[in-house]
Amino acid sequence: MAAVAPSRIAALTRLRCELFQTSYNPTSVRTGAKYLRARLRGPSMVQYYPQQLTVAGFNRMGGGFKIQDWDEHQRLADVEEKKRRGKGAPKKAKSPAESRRMSKRR
Amino acid sequence: MPNARVLRDIKARHGVNANEILRRAYLYVARNQTLPPQVRFQAQLQLNTFGRYARPTTVQNRCTETGRGRGIISEFGLCRYQFRLKALAKELPGVKKASW
Repeated sequence: MAAVAPSRIAALTRLRCELFQTSYNPTSVRTGAKYLRARLRGPSMVQYYPQQLTVAGFNRMGGGFKIQDWDEHQRLADVEEKKRRGKGAPKKAKSPAESRRMSKRR
Repeated sequence: MPNARVLRDIKARHGVNANEILRRAYLYVARNQTLPPQVRFQAQLQLNTFGRYARPTTVQNRCTETGRGRGIISEFGLCRYQFRLKALAKELPGVKKASW
């Protein structure tokens, strides 16, 4: 059997691409099409953790009915108590020079 | 209340979801060799301006019960110990302890 000329094979490939509606790309140039073709992964990513009903979430739902969040209430009371005893969180640094990280390095 | 790492992961998931289409468009331009290099470079610069919570690689599947980040059995979204506990409690349909 005689060898088929490369130009004939190229013509066949072009024709095949035309028939099956694929793009003819003999030099395999990267067109970035795979980024458009791939499915979006965000919607399924968001649903990974099961929905949990929290007190704050319930109050945000509306419906004219609010419930007290006692855990949050207790947390705020504890913070106030700590502040009163001088055990609260330190003041926010105004500049990078006075941040704790800088003073540690020295 | 989920732990801080889970909250961070949830934040990343929402960030990815919100920025995905725009990022894909920039990726398409930046990786397309048929476009002029200047345009591709500009697109790459735009890609770099997204924060770390817009990249899908930041998202890590964590245990939905305990928030553990390692040893997750992805079919159930549970870490190996929670998987064992739940399987032994017959809370996972079709899962049975092997014995032969």
